[in-house]
Amino acid sequence: MSFEVIHPGFLSTIQDYGRFNHGMHGMSQSGVMDEHAYCWGNHLLGNRFGDAVIEINFGGLILEAQIDTFIAVTGADFDFKINDKLAQMWCNVQIYQGDILSWGNPKIGVRAYLAVKGGLNTPILFDSRSVNLREQIGAKLTRGDKLPYKLFKKTTFRSIPTKYFPNYKKDVVLRLLPTYQFNDFDIKQRQLFFQQDYTVTKDSDRTGCRLNGTPISGKNSRMISEGISYGSVEITTDGLPIILLKDTPNIGGYPKIGTVFSLDLSKLAQRHPNTKVSFELMSVEQAQQKRKEFNTFFKINITP
Amino acid sequence: MHYNDFVMHNITLAGENSILIYFGNKINAALPSKIALFSHLLKTTLGNIVIDMTPSYTSLHISYDLNKITYQAFINKVEILLNQQNNGVSSFKPKIISIPVYYDTEVGPDLNRLLLEKNLDIRLFIKIHTAQPYLVYAIGFSPVFAYLGEVNRQIQMPRLTTPRVTVPAGSVAIADNQTAIYPTGSSGGWNIIGRTSLDLSLNNPDNINKFQVGDAVQFHAITRDEYLQNGGLL
Repeated sequence: MSFEVIHPGFLSTIQDYGRFNHGMHGMSQSGVMDEHAYCWGNHLLGNRFGDAVIEINFGGLILEAQIDTFIAVTGADFDFKINDKLAQMWCNVQIYQGDILSWGNPKIGVRAYLAVKGGLNTPILFDSRSVNLREQIGAKLTRGDKLPYKLFKKTTFRSIPTKYFPNYKKDVVLRLLPTYQFNDFDIKQRQLFFQQDYTVTKDSDRTGCRLNGTPISGKNSRMISEGISYGSVEITTDGLPIILLKDTPNIGGYPKIGTVFSLDLSKLAQRHPNTKVSFELMSVEQAQQKRKEFNTFFKINITP
Repeated sequence: MHYNDFVMHNITLAGENSILIYFGNKINAALPSKIALFSHLLKTTLGNIVIDMTPSYTSLHISYDLNKITYQAFINKVEILLNQQNNGVSSFKPKIISIPVYYDTEVGPDLNRLLLEKNLDIRLFIKIHTAQPYLVYAIGFSPVFAYLGEVNRQIQMPRLTTPRVTVPAGSVAIADNQTAIYPTGSSGGWNIIGRTSLDLSLNNPDNINKFQVGDAVQFHAITRDEYLQNGGLL
């Protein structure tokens, strides 16, 4: 049995941890934009780390549950309700056949996640359930869609202490690894990059986050296209950064000044336009240490 | 080819769990097969720690499992493999992919302009475009989109200044010294010269393996009737 989509909202898609081993086929990594909120959702239900969820962008989704189970809602606050009553986020919640789950307009944050016990059982497309609209892999939710999940009557209650709730209103400092063409930008340009506050523009989506600020200049404006890492920061011909995100093409030809540490991209994923962001340097050793702790806690293990 | 072309490689940090290996600093027809060969070697020897690989023109992007290995240790393993490869262990066999194309203004909205500017008739144009196999230098922008080179100077054309909002699936196109086939309908700024009757979209999931970097693509002309009989759409 399934969730039935009563109203799809602005942009709701099925996502999981991502699509790997298809870079050579021209595919993006895809997957959830906020790994932090996503991983908590699955963790609260005792799911596998890579189980599929609904990523709800800007709210507006209404679902009907067709059988009993447990869910966890994390990420942005869109006044999540069960049968018109405000319901708890960041914990697991029992729902019953016929329950109506709804998300209203954005209050705080940009993307909410609905995880369900055992994961959503939508079709696997090239080793992942993630939908990528740019690549025409899957489609966004529409009215009448059925999203299968299994019946559960029992689970152990799990929640997150309030003090660990993320604050999506704070300005963000993005930690940046000196990657790609970092050394091709001269010291003056790098200083200008690290010393300024950029703002998130409304021209941002799952492909990339465009920032506004004082332009910097580099040696080359176009290069031979090369493989793109999640979080790499392109400096385009106008001298402004674009942070490349989950649906970015696998290759690109603009110079890149660095790569943002993945867990800081989770914070960025919840920021509205006009939020201030700045950059500071991070070493690869430090980034690997922090990410490894995260992977260990959430039992993330991609390779066999 | 100089010996130095083979030993030159340069490894750069690309992210917390990714690196980029440059096999050269200029586009060179010898590189795609060399990069393909190395990615095969990497997959067979380090498949348990490699997450993803993206070859492109002069480089190979690799992401790896940081749960299992540190940046420095991974680089060391890659260096050892790069040195082994220079001793010439090969298992990669490039294939030649045949692509039927209906070359006509009916499906190639930029064909007339190109013929006029280049002062060619359509028969000569087709002869030039189909005269040689093209090397797959990269796959990207979208799935199954192969960047093919190198196009004869006589038919090279720069991209359109304003990309089209919709380019039909199967469109065969030229941009500068490269040619390509749009596997799905999308926006695009390349000069469209014809259309293939083959379905290269992901409606057929096997298409993800249609092209590999290092493979070769041979275009051949078909008539309007053949195009339609093979399922081509107008």
